[in-house]
Amino acid sequence: MNSPPRLRVYAVTWIALMALLVATFVLAHFRLGAWNPAVALAIAAAKAVLVALFFMHLRRSSALVVLFAVVAFFALAILFGLSGTDYATRAIHPTPWVAPDRY
Amino acid sequence: MSVAAPEIRPAAWREQTVSLGMWVFLATELMFFGGIFMGYLYLRTQFAGEVAQASRHTHEWLGTLNTAILLTSSFSMALAVRFSQLARRETVQRLLWVTAALGAAFLAVKFIEYAMEWHEGLVPGLHFTIVENARTTALFFFLYFLATGVHALHLTIGIITVLWLSWRLRKPPFPDARADDVEVLGLYWHFVDAVWIFLYPLFYLVSLAS
Repeated sequence: MNSPPRLRVYAVTWIALMALLVATFVLAHFRLGAWNPAVALAIAAAKAVLVALFFMHLRRSSALVVLFAVVAFFALAILFGLSGTDYATRAIHPTPWVAPDRY
Repeated sequence: MSVAAPEIRPAAWREQTVSLGMWVFLATELMFFGGIFMGYLYLRTQFAGEVAQASRHTHEWLGTLNTAILLTSSFSMALAVRFSQLARRETVQRLLWVTAALGAAFLAVKFIEYAMEWHEGLVPGLHFTIVENARTTALFFFLYFLATGVHALHLTIGIITVLWLSWRLRKPPFPDARADDVEVLGLYWHFVDAVWIFLYPLFYLVSLAS
């Protein structure tokens, strides 16, 4: 097999992950309105991509492995999309009588 | 007639099938966690304000600490995989110990958090004392315990497997098949880390600003 990546690649990936963690924690304390969840999820996605590319070696994997990884996310997106359209177009109607809160 | 398949497969072939098998398993795992994330998405979009209020009960400093611990464990796991490709058995074994120790540290922090949440009456169905916005808070914490509990179970399986592999590496030799074990276990470990990467903002960072 090919020689493994240099140690520096792993160290830089880890530093980038920690920097993104600090960034997401600090940014969560700023009032950005609708941008708060968007920024938090974008940073989470960036961290996951770093882990997949450099720690899981997706960058150096065969096309077949990359295809399987991408198809998994594509399938999940379809399920989210179909479920989402169902729930988004459904209104919640309260029943005339609701049992007392038992919690 | 066709000739018999060659007995000795090229190393690249074995490496690819082993990794591919784990990626297929991880794809099914993604579907499994996907259901939990879909439930969260529904709750968050339908009851945005209430979810923000409920999320204030989680302990963001402990969640952040745990994220740092788990990201670092992935770093040491990635290094273990790298050194297994160089057949450096003792280095791999030490890095696997570090990975397992960091995983155990994550679980320790998580259980301290669970204990705090129990005392704060945040466990729906068993010990729930939150009065304001009770229904959505209960649903939020139901999802929180489900997601983090299932994640902790995955991590526990990962720690046990890492320790088992480390124990198997205590003596030479270090065959290629063992290096494949480290590689595949690494993929699983990083996946569990990646799930937490998303759980962290969804449960801890919702409304720190307001």
